[in-house]
Amino acid sequence: MSTYVPIRSDASPLGQDAPTTEAVGPSLAFDDPRHLLAHRWLVEETYVLDRQEYDDWLALLADDIHYFMPIRVTTAAGAGYDTARRMAHFDEDRYSLGRRVARFQTEHAWTEDPPSRIRHHLSNVRTFATRVDDELVVESAVLLFRSRGDVNEPSLVSAGRTDLLRRTGDRWLLARRHIAVDESVLRTQNLAIFL
Amino acid sequence: MRDADTVLANVRRGMLPAHIYNDDEVFAAERERLFTRAWVFVAHESEIPQVGDYVVRKVMDNSFIISRDQSGEIHAMFNMCLHRGMQVCRAEQGNASHFRCPYHGWSYRNDGQLAGLPFHKEAYGGEEGFARKQQRLIPAPNVDTYNGLIFVSLDPDAPSLPDYLGDFAFYLDYYTKQSPSGVEVLGPQRWRIKANWKIGAENFAGDMYHTPHTHTSVVEIGLFREPKAAKRKEGCTYWAGRGGGTTYKLPPGTLEERLRYVGYPDEMIERMKEQWSQDQLDVIGRDGFMVSAASVFPNLSLVHNWPKVAEGGDADDDAVLPFISLRQWQPIGPGETEVLSWFVVDKEAPEEFKKLSYKAYVMCFGSSGMFEQDDVENWVSLTTTAGGTMARDLLLHGRMGLLEDDSPVVEPLKPDQFAGPGEARVGYAEHNQRALMNEWADHLDGGVRA
Repeated sequence: MSTYVPIRSDASPLGQDAPTTEAVGPSLAFDDPRHLLAHRWLVEETYVLDRQEYDDWLALLADDIHYFMPIRVTTAAGAGYDTARRMAHFDEDRYSLGRRVARFQTEHAWTEDPPSRIRHHLSNVRTFATRVDDELVVESAVLLFRSRGDVNEPSLVSAGRTDLLRRTGDRWLLARRHIAVDESVLRTQNLAIFL
Repeated sequence: MRDADTVLANVRRGMLPAHIYNDDEVFAAERERLFTRAWVFVAHESEIPQVGDYVVRKVMDNSFIISRDQSGEIHAMFNMCLHRGMQVCRAEQGNASHFRCPYHGWSYRNDGQLAGLPFHKEAYGGEEGFARKQQRLIPAPNVDTYNGLIFVSLDPDAPSLPDYLGDFAFYLDYYTKQSPSGVEVLGPQRWRIKANWKIGAENFAGDMYHTPHTHTSVVEIGLFREPKAAKRKEGCTYWAGRGGGTTYKLPPGTLEERLRYVGYPDEMIERMKEQWSQDQLDVIGRDGFMVSAASVFPNLSLVHNWPKVAEGGDADDDAVLPFISLRQWQPIGPGETEVLSWFVVDKEAPEEFKKLSYKAYVMCFGSSGMFEQDDVENWVSLTTTAGGTMARDLLLHGRMGLLEDDSPVVEPLKPDQFAGPGEARVGYAEHNQRALMNEWADHLDGGVRA
């Protein structure tokens, strides 16, 4: 019996216009050029996020991005759902992500002054073809280590991600990110970070 | 609790011994004397709309199943099997007619009554030896609701909920009764912060003073136009019954114009006019105040803001939309709090409004909210420092709004200036934080008024 319940954009009140492309078939071989491309894209992104180069990160996002991190809840086996109804930690479009980045760039975003030291540990990457040549679905695991101040206990956020990458011109952009956070109660003081 | 008399006396005059925000003995006293008595919010009826629905929530460190039984009645039951003490429900939410203890298999109906136990006859002598019908999961000593908000008190002799809330109920209606159908409550987002639970409750109760400074960044990015320093101080704070809050002063206009200014569509305004009393309408339409943050003693807070939710126009245009949030500061330890934050929306609101109000909430408050991020950073830092021995000797200055001789800097608004109950004053002050902390002192002291 699987406990896996996929996250879907249409579970969000804001996800009605999100891209709907889905994975087709088994994961691509690890030497498949499409997998190599997608894996490299994700690795490069972790460096952008760890260095908090958020303008560069915004440039990696498609205009119709749906960035969605629902709340995980503990439910009985067989309940058939493990996310809260119509509520999320992140449920973002380009405007809201842009505001979040703009805020970090003011001189008054105290929560990140001094900045956190963060490291996205990326693993378990697998890539799937879709019915669209220019779109790939990529799944990955990410473990975020975050340290604030000198001796504050660091926090960890563990999550699985399912991304939709889309070729736009000569670049690949993130068109959808579903984040399955692995805790129902987050042990980090806020989400002034991106996964 | 060390030097309890001195600590409480200082708190009552608005001088706060800094260690009360991170001290084992103070926390033990809160656990034993405060959270065993006060009415504590646990859930909203809309979280368990169907027969059999339940959520599991805590009052301090006591786990309760909040369920809707087969007849639709709501129960709050201590989540501990009567036999060997196992939690009978380990999920956070769901739907069940029965809860079966995984240890030995005792099962309880969703109204708490013991329904079955393995080998009842052989091991207990059947009904004669051990009557199931008289056994039930321990009900919370007191449960009551207001506008669908479910509160629990662990004190069998607690005052009634209406008496406890007192005139704060007048203000709760702005957040939780905008139409005859009331609100739906979605969430909660839950996360843990290394901060003392009282800080959030005090902040939401009356800290208009922090808004322009802590939240400068959200004004700078054009998300929320209101918290500019000069503008924020035109609002008033009010305290009534066991709660109080802050308001923003609205631009001149009629009731309808002012509600439109914060982003309510006309059909919602029409329902508010039907739903609210003349006094409730006058606070907005005649006096020009709109509720924002508020707290109910001890650890329930509310917030109502109206940010800009989409691109287009400049920061001062009218494309704003209001949202409401309800949150609980659940004490975990002297230096740790679990925040439970819900999004609240009128059930009869148009779907498009619900959608955008949700968007506004997620952007501004909760685990990723842009307001909340900066608040928590301050509270964690404060709590860490309050754990040091020096903090015992530091009396934090919480007397804003009072002169040396205890007379107020600003007189309360008169009934023709503010139609709401309780005491309201324009400008920056800490009357509400003191009122909240006076309740805190009364509970720790044992001298709780009815």
